[in-house]
Amino acid sequence: MSTMKTTRDVRGVGLAIPRPDGPEKVTGRVQYVADIKPRGLLHGKLLRSPHAHARILRIDTSRARALPGVRAVLTAADIPELKRKAPTRAHAVLAIDRAVFAGQPVAAVAADEVAIAEEALDLIDVQYEVLPAAVDPLRAMQPGAPPVADAGTEADTSEALAHSAVAMAKGETPTKAVNVSQTSHVKRGDVAKGFADSEVIIEQTYRVPMVHQGYIEPHAVLAEWDTAGNLTLWASTQGSFNTRSEVADVLGIEENRIKVIPIECGGGFGGKIRALCEPITALLARATGRPVRYVMTRREELEAGMPAPQVIIRLKTGAKRDGSLMALEAETVLESGAFSGTVLAVSAVFLGSLYRWPAFDIKGSEVLTHKPSVAAYRAPVAPQTIFAIDAQMEQLARALGLDPIEFRARHLSRPGEPMVNNQPWASNGAHEVLARAAAHPVWTERAAWKAGGTRERLRGTGLALGGWLGGLQPTGATVKLNPDGTLSVLTGQVDIAGTNIALAQIAASAYGLDVEKVKITTGDTDVAPVTGLSAGSKTVYTVGVAVMQAAQDARRQTLEIAAAELEASVADLEIVDGRVVVRGVPDRGVTLTQIGRKGNLYMSKVPPVLGTAHPAFSQQAPAFAAQIARIEIDPDTGELTLHDFVVVQDAGRAINPLGVEGQMQGGAVQSLGMALTEALTYDDRGRLTNPSLLDYRKLTAADLPNIETIIVEVPSPAGPFGARGVGEPPIVPAPAAIANAIEDATGVRITECPLTSERIAMALVARSSAGAGGPR
Amino acid sequence: MAKHILRCTVNDEPIEVLVQPYVTLLDALREDLGLTGPKEGCGTGDCGACTVHLDGEPVASCLVLAMQARERSVRTIEGLAKGTLHPLQDAFVRGGIPQCGFCIPGVLMAAAAVLGRHARPTEEQIRYGIAGNLCRCTGYTKMVAAITEAAASMQEETLR
Repeated sequence: MSTMKTTRDVRGVGLAIPRPDGPEKVTGRVQYVADIKPRGLLHGKLLRSPHAHARILRIDTSRARALPGVRAVLTAADIPELKRKAPTRAHAVLAIDRAVFAGQPVAAVAADEVAIAEEALDLIDVQYEVLPAAVDPLRAMQPGAPPVADAGTEADTSEALAHSAVAMAKGETPTKAVNVSQTSHVKRGDVAKGFADSEVIIEQTYRVPMVHQGYIEPHAVLAEWDTAGNLTLWASTQGSFNTRSEVADVLGIEENRIKVIPIECGGGFGGKIRALCEPITALLARATGRPVRYVMTRREELEAGMPAPQVIIRLKTGAKRDGSLMALEAETVLESGAFSGTVLAVSAVFLGSLYRWPAFDIKGSEVLTHKPSVAAYRAPVAPQTIFAIDAQMEQLARALGLDPIEFRARHLSRPGEPMVNNQPWASNGAHEVLARAAAHPVWTERAAWKAGGTRERLRGTGLALGGWLGGLQPTGATVKLNPDGTLSVLTGQVDIAGTNIALAQIAASAYGLDVEKVKITTGDTDVAPVTGLSAGSKTVYTVGVAVMQAAQDARRQTLEIAAAELEASVADLEIVDGRVVVRGVPDRGVTLTQIGRKGNLYMSKVPPVLGTAHPAFSQQAPAFAAQIARIEIDPDTGELTLHDFVVVQDAGRAINPLGVEGQMQGGAVQSLGMALTEALTYDDRGRLTNPSLLDYRKLTAADLPNIETIIVEVPSPAGPFGARGVGEPPIVPAPAAIANAIEDATGVRITECPLTSERIAMALVARSSAGAGGPR
Repeated sequence: MAKHILRCTVNDEPIEVLVQPYVTLLDALREDLGLTGPKEGCGTGDCGACTVHLDGEPVASCLVLAMQARERSVRTIEGLAKGTLHPLQDAFVRGGIPQCGFCIPGVLMAAAAVLGRHARPTEEQIRYGIAGNLCRCTGYTKMVAAITEAAASMQEETLR
């Protein structure tokens, strides 16, 4: 597929224009699920297990059922569709006889008011037999650890495929280790010889804890059935078709009986891909014959959402004095919580093939624990992996006395070179991004910055490079010409961040009409073409191609109608200012309004213009970002002050620079949150110890400097007008960049996120008690 | 429990509504008055999505009981401007700031309170003024710029 060539002078691709629904969003008029209130609405609430692992001996709901205003109380016994070996979290609607994480739903209530539903939960009596819990993933892998899944439950790799599109052979032998639900193993070359020939070997273990995606709108769903057995769901989801499939599968009904209305989604970042509370809300609505709305509380979100996995990577790398890379050995453990579903392959690709290792041996394991099961979080597993591999590159460069950026650039893979799965790296701008970052004053002036520090205020600068491989999923779009000469674009793609304006710009440029004349609609699952998730940095990359091709199709149809009208050849026609004219003869033309009207006239022989496209994709467009952090550290308290933060990113072609900058800045701050403050922390019985936004600390405006953005454009061969996905790359580098900056400032390498004041202070104390000198 | 009569002013209009004594101001606004601009992101005063003005001061309406607003004046995002966009809203739209948009009503009410206190706020005053409002999409940078720009345009308007 070729990049659309256009010399058309229209307002479209490349313009930094605000999204047209901005006024709806700033006036509070836009509706989210919790804002909708149909007549007869009931409110759902879930009773959740207080124990990470417990046998459910008895549930008595009689007192709850007797409470006035309670319309339904459900337990697993009331739901014949439930399967004992639930393959996914969505299938485990309510715990059957065993709760496998603290926060797992055990019973559900629908009542006239939220307060009544809450009171009903207090009246449900559950007898538990508390069982030992597997809390630490490394111990959960050991023989004798309490098992999480029922025997025979299969690994769930569906999300890995949809999200990251990395094909990878599975581990050689099915593992028998307890709680290990997936394995992978890739190797190339002679690793033992590589280490034997190495002159510098660095080995460290890196750990990034579970973190929450942090969307401000909690999960919410509204469900209503009609008398014929058709279900309508208003869901805060990143993919209405995925939600429909999952709910249909769980409930055992046909997909065309479910209409998912992709209402405004108040943030997802990967956490609203998989069905979570849709099935139980639908069941409550079916049991009561009334519309039921269920909105998770923030505490429920933190205790029982679908966070990012904990990632533990033991990484050993060897190099020669001349800076040649020799060998890499890695063991990655992804903590998946109570159900399988992590993106294991991404980690191996970045560990083994972001830089060119002549020999590598990378083992990966997905481990189940008695914690909430995990899901994607913006570039799943990439920030955690880059935290490890970038740290190794930095430490090797420092040990070898080499410039850390030149060292990275020298070994950074180029397009065409093999990834660990032997697929070639697709065209990408990693080298260009790194070079642009290395030329930025915050980086080039790092020596002066450091020299300006004092013993009380240590200064440092860190740079890291990371990215995303680019997701792929088939999709579709239609573009129709209206009787007044305007265009309407229809997709089923959920617009969270403002992708619809970019898609409208693509349609405008591909058709040849100003974007102000293009309206785009996200249709529900009854009316829109089947499409994929708004995830994986692929909305503009894939749906953009569908919209571009549909607009080209509509243009072709328009020109054919005009050609007959004007008795001219299509090749001689162009669209200028809403008119199809013969090139060079501007007064010989027909307006788009005339063509549109003829397609809607009684007895007309002119068909309506309806462009369609439904492409499937095979070519990824990896996208990279480099980030530079300039920091100060108080060595007594460990307090870190972030002074400057720069994001350099390859957008391929910035369809709407305003939207691209927004993605870069927002992603960078999520990345910084993972680096500096965020962690879901659990006690030794598997209970979350920080279930509020007071204790689960996200970065605020007062914690941050302005985030500077620099867009680099290395066009992708297959994306619309050369665009690449832009959502994920900016969340990747900051944990590595901050850790590098801390090492620059203090000489201490910290290998566990978040890089809190306590951790920095303790590392400095440990160094001084070990008798080491001051900062290098 | 018996409901109470709440009389107060909401967005410059006198209102009278029956509410349970345990109902929060946020729930009364959303469920009884149909003002769904203020959002519940946490219910514990940590995220700021429910920010409204009570007698001109920003409050987390999820932490205020509805009856505490008795005989007082409440302003929500719906009442920030009448029939037109407030300069803050306008600057947020033109800056392309809203992504998911869920935090935006609360941020704007906090920002309006900043401008009420400081005609020309410094970057620090703005950052601390909206520090009680969590946003997960934007990284705040464009918000700070838009609030600065709105302050300038409002001052220009006053001088004219």
